[in-house]
This record gives sequence, structure tokens and C-alpha cells, in this order.
Amino acid sequence: MPEPIVEAVDVAKVYQLGKTEVQALRHVDLVVERGEFLSIAGPSGSGKTTLLNLIGGVDVPTAGTVRVDGEDTSRLTERALTRLRLDHIGFIFQTFNLVAVLTVFQNVEFPLLLQGRMTSAERRRRVETLLESVGLAGHARHRPSELSGGQRQRVAVARALVGNPPLVLADEPTANLDSKTGGTIIDLMREMNRRDGTTFIFSTHDPKVMSHASAIVRLEDGRVIGRESAQGAEAR
Amino acid sequence: MSGSSSSRVHQGRILVEIAMRNLVASRVRTTVVGGIVALGVVVVVLGSSLLDSIDAGMTRSIQGSLGGHIQLYNAASRDPLALYGGTMGESVLEPISDFARLKGAVLTVPGVRLVVPMGIDQAMVSMGNVFDVALERLRADVRRRMANGPPAEDPEYEAHKAHLRRMATLLQQELRQAREIADETSGVYKDRKADFDALARAVEGGFWEHFDEDPLASLEFLENRVAPLSMDGGFTFIRYVGTDPEAFQKAFPGAQVVEGAPIPPGQRGVLLGKLYAEEWLKLRAARRLDKIREARDLHGRRIAKDEELQRWVKENTGQTRDILLQLDPVRTREAVRRLQAALGTKESDPARLVSALLDTDDRNFDARYRIFYAELAPLLQLYSVKVGDFITIKAPSRSGYVSSVNVPVYGFVEFRGLERSALAGMMSVLDIHTWRDLYGYLTPERAAEIARLKERAGATMVAREEAEAALFGGGDAPPAPSSAPQVIDENRLLAAGGGKGAREDLFLRRYGQAETDAGVALNAAVILEDPRRIEETMPLLVEAAAKAGVRVKAVTWLEASGIVGQSMKLLRMVLYLAVLIIFAVALVIINNAMVMATLQRVKEIGTMRAIGAQRRFVLSLVLVEVVTTGLVFGGLGAAAGIAIVRVIGWTGGIAATNDTMYFLFSGPALIPRLGAASLATSVAIVFLVSILSALYPALLAMRVTPLEAMQSDDG
Ligand SMILES: Nc1ncnc2c1ncn2[C@@H]1O[C@H](COP(=O)(O)OP(=O)(O)OP(=O)(O)O)[C@@H](O)[C@H]1O
Ligand SMILES: [Mg+2]
Repeated sequence: MPEPIVEAVDVAKVYQLGKTEVQALRHVDLVVERGEFLSIAGPSGSGKTTLLNLIGGVDVPTAGTVRVDGEDTSRLTERALTRLRLDHIGFIFQTFNLVAVLTVFQNVEFPLLLQGRMTSAERRRRVETLLESVGLAGHARHRPSELSGGQRQRVAVARALVGNPPLVLADEPTANLDSKTGGTIIDLMREMNRRDGTTFIFSTHDPKVMSHASAIVRLEDGRVIGRESAQGAEAR
Repeated sequence: MSGSSSSRVHQGRILVEIAMRNLVASRVRTTVVGGIVALGVVVVVLGSSLLDSIDAGMTRSIQGSLGGHIQLYNAASRDPLALYGGTMGESVLEPISDFARLKGAVLTVPGVRLVVPMGIDQAMVSMGNVFDVALERLRADVRRRMANGPPAEDPEYEAHKAHLRRMATLLQQELRQAREIADETSGVYKDRKADFDALARAVEGGFWEHFDEDPLASLEFLENRVAPLSMDGGFTFIRYVGTDPEAFQKAFPGAQVVEGAPIPPGQRGVLLGKLYAEEWLKLRAARRLDKIREARDLHGRRIAKDEELQRWVKENTGQTRDILLQLDPVRTREAVRRLQAALGTKESDPARLVSALLDTDDRNFDARYRIFYAELAPLLQLYSVKVGDFITIKAPSRSGYVSSVNVPVYGFVEFRGLERSALAGMMSVLDIHTWRDLYGYLTPERAAEIARLKERAGATMVAREEAEAALFGGGDAPPAPSSAPQVIDENRLLAAGGGKGAREDLFLRRYGQAETDAGVALNAAVILEDPRRIEETMPLLVEAAAKAGVRVKAVTWLEASGIVGQSMKLLRMVLYLAVLIIFAVALVIINNAMVMATLQRVKEIGTMRAIGAQRRFVLSLVLVEVVTTGLVFGGLGAAAGIAIVRVIGWTGGIAATNDTMYFLFSGPALIPRLGAASLATSVAIVFLVSILSALYPALLAMRVTPLEAMQSDDG
């Protein structure tokens, strides 16, 4: 059996808010296998974002270990952690977070430029392929401000996937979209998951969104209170 | 890391792309920041071009007028050499006792083209008064009559006599007024009783009726008893450089004889500074008219609104005596005729006519100015000294006596570029023999000789005058007694007549080059073949002089120019300060703008960091943005600066509107010159300033964590 893409062991995260300590996560154990389409669910403040941040190497745990693609994030330098994010993880944000001054094409190309591994012709082909698969081939020259929310999030999906990372994280990717648009985004993500075997971990409040997941991890008050397979999703 | 160089290239591309797009996206900020940078560069380019051309002009003016390239002076001097005067008066230098020896030594140094001896000093000078002029004319008449026999009709002679009588009358009125003020019983009055009696006689009809009986005796009476009572002409101070006029002319092309002729080689004489002549020797009414005209034309001042101009007009209308005194009856008639015609009046009183002419206002000024110079001036002697006159220079000599020397005026000299500088334009050029007489340098042998003479004279009251005579008689010139300069005692300073025979002999004498060189000087101007070799030549000169037994100090022309050099330094400091302030302001503003921009972009930066941009990347992002702004707008500023410099050049430069500017500009207008150095400096400054101002915002950007990307508030 291959190594799991994510492995969190007895993870805790404590935020210092002035004098009071906020226990955002406590004793969290989580294993995510490659190819999963995992949803993290839980009420507001339960620690979903915190957990995704730790997995994404955007933050490091106060205690415990988080392994991503075999790397212990606590042991990496700032530089190496950034490199890990660049090469192994794609990010989809709740607020889309496109670079406003760049075109759709450039936004998607951005991670490839940071990686610097492809020739410009290779990049062009790759970006065009992705824009096509998210249905925005005709919008390459547009600016984010000229797109709808759903279109922007598709660009974000394309950007997250352009470097072909094994893992994509999405914190409430549909929270700023109406439910229909949100649905198409989840469908898109699910399609990518199926097609390339990319692992997706996303958080959501929305039961309808959750229903697409291959599995749901439930958080409450910083603890994992359960993990269930979403048969509905499996059924598809 | 593999492929890191290509990755860097790609990152660089997107970096510049983002930076550019950011700049375009926030146009207002970019314009403000860029505008300040551009302004700063314009100031640097313009300021330094102006300064460079001021610098070049001053260099040319000073080097070409008095400074040369290097100045040498006695190393034992405590004061520094100050060609244009120090801040604390004339500097006192130890003499170079044998210039010839220094010259010989200096000329052995390679690259030396010329060495010019100099001695700069100030002295009192007295010129003949209007009385002397009138007397001179009458004396010529008398000589003519004695030679050719008196003609039946001699209207000129009569007019000249009448003129002198009128002058005596005016003088008597003047002195009466003075007497009324003074207490009649006071000693002063008693001392002057004889003077009043003499004046009374010169006014009386009897004196003039009998004038022709013994014209020579009558002339002598007027010359010795009456003329000295007139204080016209009086004293002024003169600043001169005693030098070898021939060498001086070769070394200093900037010194131009604007009227008259150069001092003939090897002869005694003086060239008076043109500005000095304007300021001190010009008829005061004419000088005031010039000043009013300049104030009106150059500074846009108006008589109606300017108290100073009103005062000058008032002085001109009130003080017509200077003009009237110059006019004998013939000329007076002519002046009345001309002024009546020009002013369109029937007024026949000359005083009122002149007063009316000079009663100028803004409306009639230009017309009156023309009338004055076209109609009245040709009848007048505008300057109290003219070419061919003798002036008497009186200076305290080194030996402790007051030396007093007569010297012929060959012409007027102007220093190109320094024409209007009160510091430099006042300088007159004097032959070195006369200068040495005034300086009165005592060699030990000469001191002994004077002591012997004193003993022989029995140390009476007259000893001093005799000593002076002996001193001058024994000058550096060969000791032919007839060649001794005229020594004039203090009482006779006002009278420029007398003793003409001896004087003429002396001033026709030609001194050889060896005589001119052998003697004392205070400093020496060295002219090099190549002006760029000043620094390396200075020690060679000192060494060569030392080998010849002359201990000298060498300074550059700039150091020697004293106040002038300092004013250059000051100007440069002012520019640097202005540049510093502008760029300090630019630094603060760019910094603030970029800090704000960074704070606005925290989420975007966090996103870039989250998806894999290194800290270095966001740091570069800010730097590239600021430096690009700096270079682009700096370039625009430089282009604007260059354009302004060009336009100023095309339109004839910046006109000097006052004497200080005229001096700084070394002429009537300043044409700025573009220097590669000033452009390079501005680029360097802009680069430095933009990097400095980007440092803090770049640091802030670097500190943005990828967590910022996750913030769900605000879109
Ligand atoms: N930077 C922080 N500093 C202090 N406390 C924090 C910080 N981030 C999160 N917390 C706290 O940690 C706990 C977990 O927060 P987290 O954002 O992970 O919850 P969440 O499940 O994502 O909630 P939501 O559904 O509202 O997004 C909360 O109590 C929150 O207040
Ligand atoms: Mg959250």
C-alpha cells in the first residue's frame, strides 16, 4: 500500500490571543489516502480552517506531526515549506484570491513560472489545457474583475491544478457562491479528482457539497468526532 | 536546486509583469511618487548644469583675469593669499624679495608657460578736481598766447577765465555756508582766514582785470592758493595689482583694455578698473541716471513706487553744481541752447534747465536719459579721470613712510566675466615699478642708506621727506636722480599741477625685462600649458623654488580667489542641500506610498506566498516596483531637465538681473551646460533613493505570511 498523502498524528494547535490560549485543535489524528475526495465538516470555529492550514504547510502544529507526501512539515525550513506548497499542494480559497492585475492566463501560469521547470511553449499548452477543462478557454485574456464569482473560482481551480500537485486543499470553496454555481465547482473538482487521481481535501458547511465527498471528517471544538464514508458520493 | 537559473528568469519575467501592472493599476500613487522623483532629477540635472556652467565660467574668468592656474607666495606669510581680498581686509603677505630668482626656478619646471609677478594692495588715490581741469585749460591758453603772441580776439581764453572766476564764486558761497556753521572765533576759522582772503581775491574783478599783466603769477596763485580749497575729486580708494604689464597681458587674456591703450612695455602707468571708474570716477548725476535706468530696465523697478529711485532723482535735481562747474560760459550757452530745444522750454537759467532735465519720472525717463547722453554729456567730462591724466596714489609703505606716487592713466581695464563683480571688477592694473615704490620694500642695504641720509639731514623735521625722496630716488630702477618718481607732500596731494618736467622724464623711461623682474613681488601667477596638471605641478614648483633658495607656498587659483572660491563652494552646498531635502521628502513619500500599497495588498501577497512564492520573490516585487518607478520617472525627469537646459540655451540663457548674478554667471547670461557627470549623479541618486525608500515596505511585504491568504473577511 502506498504511503498516505496526509498523515496527522496527535496534532494540536494553540493560538495565543492576548493572555488567553485558544485550543483550535487538540489530539487530532487523520490519515488521507491518495485519490480521496475528502470533506471536512463542522460548525463554525470547530477548527476546519486550522486543520487545512496545517495540512497545507501554511502553518505548523503546536504539537504532534503533520506529514504531507512523506514530509514532516515541522521539520522543514520556511524555504522548504514554501517549496513543498509550490510543488505538492494546490490551493483553492474561499475568496478566490486571484492576482487582480494579471489576466486569467497569467494567474493560471503563475505557479508554473514560480516552479520554472517548463519552457514557455510547454506552459502555454498546459495552461490552455487547464482553462479548457474548467471551461474558460475563451477567457484567457480577461482580468479577474471581468469574471463572475464562479468563473473566478474555476480559474482558481485551474491554478491549483496547473502544477499537477498530488494534493489540493480548498477551504470552503463554495461559501461565496450561490448553491448552483457552488455545485458546478464541486463537480469540476470531483471530475479532476477522478480523472487525474488528485487528492482533494475541502471544508464546507454545506450538506449538499459534503454529499459529493468520498469521505467526511467531522470536527467539533477542535477534535475529530467522526469519519464517515459518503456513500452517495461513492454511488456516483 | 536544479533549473534555478531558468526559474529565476521566469520569476523575473512575472515579477516585472506584476510590478508594471501594479504601477499602471494604481496610477495616482505612481504619478505622485514618479512626479517627485522626476522633480528631484530635474533639480539635480538643472542645478548641476547651472553650477557646472557657473563653475566653468568662474574658472575661465578667474584663471583668465588674475588667478592663473597656480599662485605662489612667500611660505613665511601668515595670511593666506586672497586675490580678491580676504574676509578681514587685505591679507598681509611676506614679500618675495627677488622675483627674478623665483621666475628662473619656476620656468625650469616642465609644463610652465608663464610666470607673472604680482603685488596686490589698496591705497588712497586723489585725482585732479574740476578746478585743475579748468586751470589746465587756462594754462594751455596762456602758453599758446606766450608762444604766438596774444590775438586780437581770444573768446576761448576769455571764456576760460570767466569759468574759473565763476568757479571761485561758487566755491566762496560754499565755504561761506560752512563758515556760518563754524564758530568764527574758533581756531579753525583763524587757520582758514588766509583761505577766505585768497578766495575773495580770486572773485574780485580787480584780480581778473590784472590777470593778463602777469598771467603766470596769476595762474600760480590760483593753482596754489585757490584750487586746494576745492574738495572736488577728493580721495577714493583704489585696489590694484602691481605687475609686469606685458607679461600680465600675455597671461590674462580676460583682462581687456576697454578704453585707451595697454601700458607700453617696460613703462610706468596704470590701467584703471572700469567698474571702479563707473562707481567712483563718473559724474555722479550720470552714474545715478545709469543706476535708475538699470533698476527700471533690469529689475522692473519704478520711480513712482521706489523710494531709492526717488532719492536718486531728488539728488540729481538738487545737485547740479557738479555739472555746472564743468561748463565755461561758451559751453554753458551751448548747453542752454540744446536743453531748451530738447525740453521744449524757454527757461534760460542753466541750473534750472539741468535740474529740469534730471527731474525724471517713469514716463519721461528714457527720453531724458537719451537727451542727457546725446545733448549734455558731450559738453562734459563724464569721468573725473581720463586717459592721459595723472593720478596720485598714496599708500603706507613697508618702511613706515607714506609713499605717494604720480602715475599716468593709460586706459581702463575690464576683466571678462568679472566686469560687474564688486570684488574683482574694481581691480586696477599698475606697473610693478610704481607698485614697488608704493610698497617701499626695504632691503637691508637700503635701510642703511636711509639711516645715513637721516643722519646727514640732522634728523630735522624735513628728514622724513628727504628720506622718502632718497628712497624713491634709489628705487629698483637705475639710480638716475632725474628718474625719481615725484614725491608729493600731503598738502599738495589735491593739486595735480606742478613739476611736470621731472614727471614726464620718468614716465617716458623704459625699463628692461631684467629690471622689471629683479625686485620685490608679493605673489606670482603661474600659467601652465595644461590646466589639468595643476595638482601635480604645485609640489614641483615649490621644490624648484626651494632649490633656488626661495621658500614659497603654492595654492590653486581657486584657493587664491578667497571669497570667490568660497562662494562657489557655498553655492554647491546649497544645491546639495536642496537635492538632499527633495530626496529626503521623496524618500518619505515613496516609503509611505509603498507601505500603504503593501498593506492594501497583504492578501494578494499572502496568496502568492501560499501558492509557493518565496519571501525573496515578494521582496523583489516591491523593489522592482519602486526602482522601476524611479528609473522610468527619473528618466523622464532627466529628459525634462535636458530639455529645459536646451531651451534655456536656445533662448539665450538666464539673464543676470543684478550684479551678484552677473558675477556668478561671469557675464550677462548663464547658459547651463549638460555634463555627463551630472546625469550619472542623478541616476545614481535616484537609484539609491528608490532602493532606500523601498526597503521598509519590502520588509513589510516579506513578513506577510501565507496565512493572510486564508482570511475570509473582505473580498
Ligand atoms: N489566528 C488566530 N488567532 C487566534 N485564534 C484563532 C486564529 N485562527 C483561528 N482561531 C481560533 O481557533 C478556533 C478554530 O478556528 P477555525 O478558523 O479553524 O474554525 P473554522 O472551523 O474554520 O470556522 P469557520 O467555519 O467559521 O471558518 C476558533 O475558536 C478561532 O477563533
Ligand atoms: Mg474556516
